[in-house]
Amino acid sequence: MSDATIPATPALPRPWRIGHGAFWLGSAAVALLLIAALRAFGSEYAYFAATFVLQYVVLATAWNILGGYAGYVNFGAAAFFAAGAYTTVAIGKALGLSLLPCIAFAAVVGGALGLGTGILTLRLRGAYFAIATLCLSVVLQTIVVNWSYVGGSRGAYVIRPRDVPWPFDSYSGFLCAVMVVLAAASIAVARSIEKSRLGLGLAALRDDEAAAEAAGVPTLRLKLVATTISGAMMAVAGAPLPLLGSYVEPNSAFGLAYAVNAIAMPLIGGTGSWAGPLIGAVLLASLQQAATVTISSAANLMIVGVVLVVFVCAAPHGIIGLFRRRA
Amino acid sequence: MQSLSRRDLGRAALAATAAATVPATARAQAAPSGPPIRIGYSMSLSGGLAGNGRPALLAHRIWAEEVNSKGGLLGRPVELVNYDDQSTGAQVPGIYTKLIDVDKVDLVISGYATAIIAPAMPIVMQRNMAFVSLFGTGVNNDFKYDRYFSINPTGSQVKETFAKGFMDIAMAMDPKPRSIALVNLDSDFHQRTAESARFLARQHGLRVVYDRAYPPSTVDFAPIIRAVQAARPDIVFVGSYPPDTAGLLRAASELRVNFQMMGGPMIGPHITAQKLQLGPILNNLVVWDVYAPEPTLQFPGTQALIERYQPLAAKEGTDALGHYVPPLAYAQMQVLEQAVRRVGRIDQAALAADMHANGFDTVIGPLRFDALGEWTEERNLYTQYQGVQGNGIDQFRKAGTQVILYPQRYKSGDLRKPYTAGA
Repeated sequence: MSDATIPATPALPRPWRIGHGAFWLGSAAVALLLIAALRAFGSEYAYFAATFVLQYVVLATAWNILGGYAGYVNFGAAAFFAAGAYTTVAIGKALGLSLLPCIAFAAVVGGALGLGTGILTLRLRGAYFAIATLCLSVVLQTIVVNWSYVGGSRGAYVIRPRDVPWPFDSYSGFLCAVMVVLAAASIAVARSIEKSRLGLGLAALRDDEAAAEAAGVPTLRLKLVATTISGAMMAVAGAPLPLLGSYVEPNSAFGLAYAVNAIAMPLIGGTGSWAGPLIGAVLLASLQQAATVTISSAANLMIVGVVLVVFVCAAPHGIIGLFRRRA
Repeated sequence: MQSLSRRDLGRAALAATAAATVPATARAQAAPSGPPIRIGYSMSLSGGLAGNGRPALLAHRIWAEEVNSKGGLLGRPVELVNYDDQSTGAQVPGIYTKLIDVDKVDLVISGYATAIIAPAMPIVMQRNMAFVSLFGTGVNNDFKYDRYFSINPTGSQVKETFAKGFMDIAMAMDPKPRSIALVNLDSDFHQRTAESARFLARQHGLRVVYDRAYPPSTVDFAPIIRAVQAARPDIVFVGSYPPDTAGLLRAASELRVNFQMMGGPMIGPHITAQKLQLGPILNNLVVWDVYAPEPTLQFPGTQALIERYQPLAAKEGTDALGHYVPPLAYAQMQVLEQAVRRVGRIDQAALAADMHANGFDTVIGPLRFDALGEWTEERNLYTQYQGVQGNGIDQFRKAGTQVILYPQRYKSGDLRKPYTAGA
């Protein structure tokens, strides 16, 4: 036995990490600040623009849990989104409930739909899984079109309640505050997943599913958990939609824009981290909203495509990836 | 008092002569001044509804130019503020809040079609603004907003009146038809129109031998036409949108159909490009419409609008003839203009009260609104294409190619039968 001793490696200082509780508290504080700032701004248009952007923050964050963390590309985001919207229509009509309970129901419906989709499709991988999720959107739209209780192909009118919940001055302000809370909660959920054993397991199966399975990662169970959470959050994003426009019809609820944006936003921001979809959604949705009321032409439809192509070429790991590479 | 010099006298005489030679109308139409009256709306300039959104916008611009050239509205120039809603209802609430809160528009109107009008309603209702819509069907049935006014000839009793013209024409045939087939696209408008046809068919004792709705994703229409042929109906009532109309009529042509009468709200030939594309296949087709260039359907300003529209449309590459949406879009602005002139100020409550109380003279004729804001008297036209030869555009400009069969007061020709899809 050699007398040589291996010098002890100097103890590296542990990287400072924010705990789950602190992150949730931070998210809540940011949400409160944002609500207060929007209230101080006091413009109905600011409420609408913020609601539009935040709706995509929730949708993109939800998509990223399955698409970014687990590497399973879901083309059916619009189906989950519309499931949330139509849950609000159906539950609101059947039980006369207000928006908040409808959001809870939407989460349950979206979660169940995600779980069902997971059970049926998770044996598929890559392009086959993506095609299967696209089929889900078509199937669900066909069901809604033929379901007259929720308006069928005619669409459904959802009249906003006359009473505005305290302490808001308008229903748009209330809707915006709800979306701020949902966005903050979805980001906190995504970050908690990312930094937990679940997130590590999803990252393992994204890198090499067979190796992860061999190493003892319960891949099927993790994928089912991811599809359920992702589905529930996407449906939650869609739940306020009927009250936002007072009218919802299948073509717009299942619109291609939702499916495309849900994928493009995390790709532009960066799929590996909770911050990626947030950055991508804020950037792209703000750009789209600004273009709608400035350029006001078909050119704004090109924005998503052009930005996506530019980022795929110049920054394949998204904006987050650019910063990490420099660091 | 200062005495007038000979030079001053000469100047005064010159000024008096010049004033006397300027036409009186020109003097009355002084250039508008002051801050503009801003009219805000969303319009579908891209996406599925753009084919009708762009001609509507052009008609609005023609109206604005005419009003401004005649002294403006209440002496102020009018300014149109519009944004592209991309044919997506989800864009509409944001656009209207921007128009009202940021752009501070004085008046709002709607973009084209129900799917765009409905999402604007809560915003407009929240601000208690008068709202004149374009081609919306039954939008106000749920909202019951007392400041909503619809520019759409279907009226409020769609079930009882929409297909009445088609049925009346059919029942006047000799021999009378005994059976009917109903085919419609699974969409809001066409569900309502099929409901009307079903209701009236029952009243006339017609046997419904085929009654199916097809989904918007349908691309092959031959099986539908084959199934209708197999049911052997005397008449066929079809509700469809442009891509389906082309598919259905081409399938009918290929399968050499022979029905005593075929047609209905087949939206498609209303657009010039499709008129030219289908050509003789349109012969004897009975189509629901809102305007046809027939001498019996001319109101003050209609022809002038069409003549002004067509060269501009050619320049901008939008619908060449402009017989479908432009007259109604222009009338939408005329309603707003006449109400503002009568009221004399921008007062939303007073404007709405005026619109309920008074009638309007427009390029699509006189009209009046009921409590729900629909026309008190529906004006569904049923027209028939006759003698179409080849694919030239000029034949569609002149009277006699699209004759009016119903209503009686605008009738300009007699029914030709059967429909054989150009065979």
